[in-house]
Amino acid sequence: MSGPASLAELVGRMAAVVGARNCFSAGPDLLTYECDGLTHGRTRPDLVVLPGSTAEVAEVVRLARAAGRPIVPRGSGTGLSGGARPVPGCVVVATSRMRRILETCLEDGWVRVEPGVINLDVTRHVSGAGYYYAPDPSSQSICSIGGNVAENSGGAHCLKYGFTVNHVLGARVVLHDGRVVDLGGPVLDAPGHDLLAALVGSEGMLGIVTEVTLRLLRRPEATRTFFATFPSTDEGGEAVSRIIAAGILPAAIEMMDRLAIEAAKAATGLDWPDVGAALLMDADGPVAEVEDVSARAVRIAREVGALELRLPRDEAERQLMWKGRKSAFAAVGRISPNYLVEDGVIPRSEIAPVLREIEGLARDHGLRVANVFHAGDGNLHPLVLYDARNRGEEERAEHLGGDILRMCVRRGGSITGEHGVGAEKAAYMADMFGPDDLETMRRVRAAFDPDEAMNPGKVFPSTRLCGEKPGPGGVEHPAVRSGEVQRW
Amino acid sequence: MVRERPGTPADAIQEVVPRIVLAPSSPAEAAECLARSAAERLAVAFVGGGTDLGLGARPARLDAVVRTGGLSRLVDHAPADQVVTAEAGMTLSALGEALARHRQRLALDAPFPSRATVGGVVAANAFGPRRARFGSARDLVLGVGLVRADGTAARGGGKVVKNVAGFDLPRLLVGSLGTLALVTQVTFRVHPLPEVEATVLFPGLEAEQVRALAAAWRAAQLEPSAAAAVLAAGRLDLGLRVEGFEAGVADQVGRLLALGRKAGLAGERLEGAGEAAFWRRHDAAREQGSLRVKLAAPPSRLADLARTWLASVVGELSPSAAVAYPTLGLAFASGEPAPAVGLAAALRDVRAAIAGAGGSLVLVDAPPAVRAAVDPFGPPPASIEIMRALKDRFDPDRRLAPGRFVGGI
Repeated sequence: MSGPASLAELVGRMAAVVGARNCFSAGPDLLTYECDGLTHGRTRPDLVVLPGSTAEVAEVVRLARAAGRPIVPRGSGTGLSGGARPVPGCVVVATSRMRRILETCLEDGWVRVEPGVINLDVTRHVSGAGYYYAPDPSSQSICSIGGNVAENSGGAHCLKYGFTVNHVLGARVVLHDGRVVDLGGPVLDAPGHDLLAALVGSEGMLGIVTEVTLRLLRRPEATRTFFATFPSTDEGGEAVSRIIAAGILPAAIEMMDRLAIEAAKAATGLDWPDVGAALLMDADGPVAEVEDVSARAVRIAREVGALELRLPRDEAERQLMWKGRKSAFAAVGRISPNYLVEDGVIPRSEIAPVLREIEGLARDHGLRVANVFHAGDGNLHPLVLYDARNRGEEERAEHLGGDILRMCVRRGGSITGEHGVGAEKAAYMADMFGPDDLETMRRVRAAFDPDEAMNPGKVFPSTRLCGEKPGPGGVEHPAVRSGEVQRW
Repeated sequence: MVRERPGTPADAIQEVVPRIVLAPSSPAEAAECLARSAAERLAVAFVGGGTDLGLGARPARLDAVVRTGGLSRLVDHAPADQVVTAEAGMTLSALGEALARHRQRLALDAPFPSRATVGGVVAANAFGPRRARFGSARDLVLGVGLVRADGTAARGGGKVVKNVAGFDLPRLLVGSLGTLALVTQVTFRVHPLPEVEATVLFPGLEAEQVRALAAAWRAAQLEPSAAAAVLAAGRLDLGLRVEGFEAGVADQVGRLLALGRKAGLAGERLEGAGEAAFWRRHDAAREQGSLRVKLAAPPSRLADLARTWLASVVGELSPSAAVAYPTLGLAFASGEPAPAVGLAAALRDVRAAIAGAGGSLVLVDAPPAVRAAVDPFGPPPASIEIMRALKDRFDPDRRLAPGRFVGGI
């Protein structure tokens, strides 16, 4: 099944390229690579390789391909859609050792880094000079730039500043056959097809990024933050709509519902009140502009019935408010033994009715849902709470998650705003796109990787083998388990 | 039934006259046009407002032109969600008027707004000075409807401002010049119209002074939405646009002028006619002349860009105009070629020099004699093999705008 080289032979050859300690096919270290941030649906890879340079990545890819094995690229493994989930018989190529910041040019506003560099470390590297890297996923202190490129990661501030794709200027990529190619670069508008745009967000299916040139921004002069509470998400949603309608472009505008507030409080000890909804908004830019815009937004929040408005006294208090928001996912663990993180998008004007619909769906399934979301761009993160010890509850949670995603599509939205499709949502792609849409996307993949060797089994829906079911507690088809069939 | 007529010289793309012109009036008819082209094996090119037909090489073959002017409907505008979907043939002006009724705009100020269509702007990656703040089509496009060479209609992206589901077809089509698919409709993110706009002018600067002033406003954390340096008698007239609410705009204008004074530069806030006149001079550099050239270089090389490279091209033109966007590292020269021999040599020299800085020179429009002597894009990049593979997957018979693109694609 695995081509010319036996696994032992392949391990030996890989070790000769990357060093024996950076290549393993057994032992406890392998466990880490069975899944990413989406922890159900584990699959053990045959081999994990940690190359240290572009040349090593290229050689590793060539060896894996010569052995007829699929390749699963991996960054920090923090992804929430199973984008780095191994497939049977695969070689995981993790870029976590490639952590050098290679070159910085502040005047032209870019930095060139290796893919294993942590998102927040890019900003740390240039913050002394007053610059920063804008995309800020909640996992930014542990997620890697290579993973961000693969998933086109967002964050709370992409309402104003855009996603990873808006901040990547160039990339060096190792293709499926070991060829190395540079796409884009620090100078704008290189002639030719915008292959870089196709690469960002392709979930590791077009190649392995080994260097990335990122756009750096000058830090805004001022940031004004306010925290407002409302009786319910109806008023909170109304405040968001009116702020946007007033021509204000907040840097971020986040909302939490009652359950999420309760969880954040339990986890952080913040003295937030028990209310139906809380809004956290950042405005940034030159001081005079920000003062004006922030005052307008606060006025609107009052007009629609805010119960309480808090303005942080200093940066420390502001950071604390954001900590409450950013820790909300993990915080839900305080109020529920298990939970699923969903990631769907709706037109932002429909926030209030959508939340009511989610509440109804949750009731139908006999479960609770906490909602944390990027309200400005309609990106919902429903957290479906369940207790895996109760028989059938995990499956119900999975079904509820699916119902929520389909509702997002029905309302003209998307099945993912920032976590990616990965392995988890491939089945829902057919709800959002027709066969011709998907076939057109497959053509892009085929241009880069005709053999579909890079990160198989992600993004595109596959026909399920009978006897198999997706999601938590899902059972692999026996033929897959035994290695007779590979479901790429 | 798709409207059809014989092609005339007015339909020519760089002197190549199509046999027939097809004018679909709906996306469904556009799909019919391509299905028929596939069945009859016609080489076909797409024309919106025809404002960027000079971009790219002469088509290697051209049987049919599909004109998208009949696809001019506003499909959907959701002001509260700040998204708009328009058919490909809608002009930027028409779209702008529709959006302005809700105090919104598409922040894409490409040249020839009354003729340029949204589909054409996407295909040509056309942009204007506001790119400095709002980005290019690639940053504003959310979704596309397309028709493939085989007549299959498909779509990519979505209709919400945040979406990462599936491969990014919308951005892949930006700048693809009709070589991969026909764009039939586009969904954009839109922005609120600013309450106030102002322009601050610093006339008669040297390139180094522009660069120093840009460093100063960046250091001061000011955020002009556009910066355009119009070439005038060897010097640069720098116009900075500030937009937003009254209080913020007034403050930024005052601080920009103060920064200028500190550097010994006399600036002024332009009003009414003066402001319009400055931006008309800018527009002329983008829109006029049988020769138009685009240069791209690192912003830190502004002195070379303006004083050497732009000047070398302008020196061969009469009349001439030029503008540089100092924060983007992009510049345009335009005008009428003097003796064509000198111009071609100058273009080749500048291309070689700017390539050494990691940049490029592209012909946006050129008379046939210049085109015969200078490749529109220059040598293809190292990634050309993937571009060819992409072309093979989307258009295996090479019937969509054959020969028009980089590397003869």
